[in-house]
Amino acid sequence: MSALLETKDVTIRFGGLVAVNLLNLTVNDGEIVAIIGPNGAGKTTAFNLITGVYAPTEGDIIFDGIKINGKRPDQIAKMGIARTFQNIRLFKDLTVLENVLIATHLNVKTDFFSSVLHMPYAMKEEKKMKEFACSFLEETGLIEHKDDIASSLPYGLQRRLEIARALATRPKILLLDEPAAGMNPKESVDLTEFIREIRDKFHLTIILIEHHMQLVMDISDKIQVLEYGRTIARGIPFEIQNNPAVIKAYLGEEEIN
Amino acid sequence: MDKKKVHIILDIVAIAALIGFMFWANASFNPYNKRIFNTCCIYAICALSMNMVNGFTGLFSLGQPGFMAIGAYVTAIFTVSTADKVSIYKIIPISDFMANLSAPFPVALILGGVAAAVFAFLIGFPVLRLRGDYLAIATLGFSEIIRICITNMQGVTNGPTGINRIPSHINMWVSLLILAVIVIFTLAMMRTTYGRALLAIREDEVAAQAMGINLFKHKMLAFVLSGFMAGIGGGMLASLVGAIGPDQFKFTVAYEILLMVVLGGQGSVSGSIAGAFIVRIALEKLRFLDEPIPALGYPGIGGMRMVVFSALLMLVIILWRKGIFGNKELSWEGIGGFFKLIGSIFHRSPKKEVSE
Ligand SMILES: Nc1ncnc2c1ncn2[C@@H]1O[C@H](COP(=O)(O)OP(=O)(O)OP(=O)(O)O)[C@@H](O)[C@H]1O
Ligand SMILES: [Mg+2]
Repeated sequence: MSALLETKDVTIRFGGLVAVNLLNLTVNDGEIVAIIGPNGAGKTTAFNLITGVYAPTEGDIIFDGIKINGKRPDQIAKMGIARTFQNIRLFKDLTVLENVLIATHLNVKTDFFSSVLHMPYAMKEEKKMKEFACSFLEETGLIEHKDDIASSLPYGLQRRLEIARALATRPKILLLDEPAAGMNPKESVDLTEFIREIRDKFHLTIILIEHHMQLVMDISDKIQVLEYGRTIARGIPFEIQNNPAVIKAYLGEEEIN
Repeated sequence: MDKKKVHIILDIVAIAALIGFMFWANASFNPYNKRIFNTCCIYAICALSMNMVNGFTGLFSLGQPGFMAIGAYVTAIFTVSTADKVSIYKIIPISDFMANLSAPFPVALILGGVAAAVFAFLIGFPVLRLRGDYLAIATLGFSEIIRICITNMQGVTNGPTGINRIPSHINMWVSLLILAVIVIFTLAMMRTTYGRALLAIREDEVAAQAMGINLFKHKMLAFVLSGFMAGIGGGMLASLVGAIGPDQFKFTVAYEILLMVVLGGQGSVSGSIAGAFIVRIALEKLRFLDEPIPALGYPGIGGMRMVVFSALLMLVIILWRKGIFGNKELSWEGIGGFFKLIGSIFHRSPKKEVSE
């Protein structure tokens, strides 16, 4: 079986800095893959490469059998890759519902003038999109906040909203950049459960960047460890936990025990 | 009665009041005041044009004078009679083709809007790739280039002399009607997926693009619509004033419109309209500052009203950064909230005891 997403020797340089160096990442359909590594290892940059924010200096990114490096982020989103951001990037001044509605944009077929004239067909589609958006808000437990301004939500819910918004683009693969950042242990246990739930419900493949080791070890099928842009280890959680190079680079003695 | 019904009734009352006001004003305003009203409506349209790009899409464009000039000249050329055009173009005679161009005012106005929109589309390709201040500089440059072209294309625009004897088709009803159409269009558009995409771009370009929004296409949409609206505003101005020349479309016009949009609140249709009316009326009412006031020994300094006016605006913007409406719209809930606030100031509840 061929991989859903594959990066082949992907490298990006910012001036003299090689932020991602010969990254080879293979993600199969339905897997949850974690990318871990110390600060500045190039994890977020890897996401930015996959989603088209940056074009790789070298190497290829293949999604669903198609080469996607060089495509714009909106084209890549359209093909079925959605993401969340490390520093939450909601549409802050808009309501929760509007945030999710914007993500349904990809599926809107009505042309500009029919929409503006509120033609019956356009209204029907708008109504359908609203229902669709609301279904994601229900799924993520945000429905009672649908008319709140996004920036007024508590931090944890903002993270959830970002996931809801990403889901509303109907992705095949979801990239989560530190979804548990700033969460307490109870919240991150809930999040683990939630990620599994959406994976099953929406038949997703997930790539996850996370510093929270418990979550990573619980949820991942595979883990890839980066340091200074290079892959220093890859394997199943058990292998990673006991890999001396990883322990040295990242985990630290106390977290293992 | 539920809230929705109350609001519909209030809407009807408000529209009736507006129509009543129009009948009254039409009968009792002197020509000077009517002209102020018409100018307010025209600038409100120009402010809505700028708000489309600056307020909704979060770009910073100052191309309005250029688009207005294009709309004004196209409208003028299509509405001035052939005989008049032949006699106006003295230095380089007008070509037969141009002299014979003629269309009824509504058609000429729309042609002006379309011409401005076409220019917006063409310059959109290079300039919409720029960000922030660079876009502002490029669009301001565009306005100046248009003005200089108009000054020098003697055979087409009659150069620095401009075009006069433009028949007037603007009255209070026409101004209000065109403004209303543009307001309804804008409000309707902002409720569609296309309008929301513009807001998303304003809020966060990176996130918008990650949600599949084609940034360039949507910025272009806003820019072309904005050009069209400014073109309509320019055409109306030509018809109201009766004479146009390149000096009417200096870059200072862009600042004036920017002040309206910022004062009203960027991203608010209500704000753009309120801003336009406040700025235009204030500029008229402060005119006495340019004239001498003998009783105070004030000699009258030309341009003083602009100084005072700009200072007032600076104050407003420093103290009240989001403008009158922020990025919200006028709503009955908002008005209700405002009166509740006023009420609570006058009927303070007895002081609560401080318990620590
Ligand atoms: N646009 C850019 N220009 C220059 N350098 C960049 C750019 N983006 C990232 N970098 C650099 O690339 C390196 C990797 O950054 P990246 O954000 O990918 O790290 P990370 O693994 O996500 O770290 P963290 O755990 O702190 O989020 C860093 O040294 C960063 O400064
Ligand atoms: Mg990061």
